[in-house]
Amino acid sequence: MTEILTSQVVSGLATGCVYALIALGFVLIFKATDVVNFAQGEFVMASGFMSYTLLIGFGIPYGLVLVATIVLSGFMGVVLERIVVRPIMDAPIFSIVIATIGASIVLRSSAGIVYGYDVLPLPTIFSKDPVRIGFVQFTAMDVGVIASSLAIMVVLYLFFRLTKTGTAMRATAQSQTAARLMGVSVSRIFSLTWAISAAIGGVAGVLIAPIIYLDPNLGFIGVKAFAGAILGGFGSIPGAIVGGMLLGVIENLSGYFFNAGIKQVSTYILLILVLVVRPAGLFGAAPVRRV
Amino acid sequence: MKWLLGILGLMVLLAGGPVWAEDGITDKEIVIGAGLDLTGAVANWGVNIKAGMEAMFNRANAAGGVHGRKIRLIAYDHVYQPPKAVTNAKRLVERDKVFVMMGHLGTPTTKAVMDYLQERKVPNIFPATLASIWTTSGKWHVGDLATYADQTGLIVDYLVKERKIRKIASFYQDDEYGLDGHLAGKARLKHQHDLAYVAEVDYKRADIDFSSQAAKLKESGAEAVILQAVYREPPRLAEQCAAIGYKPLFIGPSPIVLAKTIELGGKHVEGLMGVEVYPLPTDSGAFLDQYRADMAKHFPGLPIDTTNLYGYQKAAVFVEALQRAGKNLTRDTVLKAIESIKDWDPGWGMKYTYGGDNRRGMSNAGRFVVVKDGKWAKAGDWVELKEVGRK
Repeated sequence: MTEILTSQVVSGLATGCVYALIALGFVLIFKATDVVNFAQGEFVMASGFMSYTLLIGFGIPYGLVLVATIVLSGFMGVVLERIVVRPIMDAPIFSIVIATIGASIVLRSSAGIVYGYDVLPLPTIFSKDPVRIGFVQFTAMDVGVIASSLAIMVVLYLFFRLTKTGTAMRATAQSQTAARLMGVSVSRIFSLTWAISAAIGGVAGVLIAPIIYLDPNLGFIGVKAFAGAILGGFGSIPGAIVGGMLLGVIENLSGYFFNAGIKQVSTYILLILVLVVRPAGLFGAAPVRRV
Repeated sequence: MKWLLGILGLMVLLAGGPVWAEDGITDKEIVIGAGLDLTGAVANWGVNIKAGMEAMFNRANAAGGVHGRKIRLIAYDHVYQPPKAVTNAKRLVERDKVFVMMGHLGTPTTKAVMDYLQERKVPNIFPATLASIWTTSGKWHVGDLATYADQTGLIVDYLVKERKIRKIASFYQDDEYGLDGHLAGKARLKHQHDLAYVAEVDYKRADIDFSSQAAKLKESGAEAVILQAVYREPPRLAEQCAAIGYKPLFIGPSPIVLAKTIELGGKHVEGLMGVEVYPLPTDSGAFLDQYRADMAKHFPGLPIDTTNLYGYQKAAVFVEALQRAGKNLTRDTVLKAIESIKDWDPGWGMKYTYGGDNRRGMSNAGRFVVVKDGKWAKAGDWVELKEVGRK
């Protein structure tokens, strides 16, 4: 019983880490630009196909593919921001959100046109064979996914804390006007934010696609990650991470204790419960309104 | 004067339309419809069934059509979602005016359009689902091969009698598809062997993670797990079971028997067993040679696979029925033509028989296959299936 439960938690954490990475992408863009980017899940899907093409089509070694995918994915984020979001930056937020939904549909359909709608297996360097330490049983895949995700999170944290650009990004998130007055190029920061979010989505894609297979509908995983971000408190970076991980574990455990139906809705039941008790989410600051 | 004009108008209208002609039929053409999953969770089946049917129709059309009429297939994508299947069916019947629905894919999706087709008196010919419901729902629905219920009965008997396995679990899709075999297996275990599933574990259509299902199966101690699933689930489940050190015998009805299952699962699906209800696409036989030639000619990009052979054989039986129906083609005459098919062998050593209430063409044949060295291989001879109920 404990053995099974712990392995459930470990594999839940692995899926949860991927949710967390995608949620992080949502939150970074939201904090910096006030836009909810519903094409975030498509970064995950697109990077999966990019690495598939590079690995299978061109036979490039895995390490290089990883780097290339992250760079390409970041570039895609910049392009998307330039051609979809920036021209309508002054439009109501609602219009921008719809534009990102449109972009996600275009990306998904393009992938379908190019690759077809069949599921494809994406190779990975992590083994899916069981490893046993004490009474915990897991796979190298689980550990690899968790470790890579945590590494990305630490790098991001250091970037925001220690570098000048990171500080400028945080400043922009707090007040665009003040940042601009201090000589920060806000439009450059916007591009950079989209690049980073898309690159994180790219990492998530490379990690999750070998597990749940690659197809143009892979981007729908973004919907769950979005729920994770709200769970943690939309706009909070630690919240996105904890929310995503929690989601992965809760999903696994609810499936184990109940059935597939409950597993499917557990995310949303949890979300509603948390929002009833803490409307700002687990880590979100309660909105303060100045009178 | 006005009423006279009205009557005249009405007369023109009535005279203008071919009053007795059936929808979808002209002197030159037979238009038939299909709702398939072309972009969703079971798209591999959908895309290939469509190609298989078209390969056969292309052959018939190249030979001048059937009684001078060319067959045209209109297929829409329902993404394996019942609500979309209903919209598509209405579009096919009311706008495109199709003659029959042919090879409609998926049990939940076809069940969603069942009442509608019946209401509009549009025959539901050889739906691409082997749920037992299509063999028992009367005139408008015509199944073709051994049902999931019959196949699961065969699996249960094999596990208990030949493999001496008494701890059997069921992993099933929680809808009309998964329940057909799941319930039939349960009934078979109870009535024939005085046993019960040691675990009944469900999943939802298009689910992608089965770690909790793997845990439950492992805890049940099942030595064999019957998979009422399609092609994404068996490899992923096997992988997740292996991840917790659990390796039972996985076995399931025909929807898991396709190359994709192996492509996705790799070494994790070695030893996976399935039931075949028609020959493997690599078997010998004139009909299979013809199938391979037609696929290579019309769809060179697609593999020779059970999926498109499934569509191809459906289309072959349908073309035979059209031949038999003759020049006077209506929905009634085509259904009667299907009923007239007795011991008809397209050329692969297996026979289709209809007639009267019999709505299953080749239901009496099933054979085990197993994944061996990354390929589906025969694991037994053809056996006669018994009709297995769900209760």
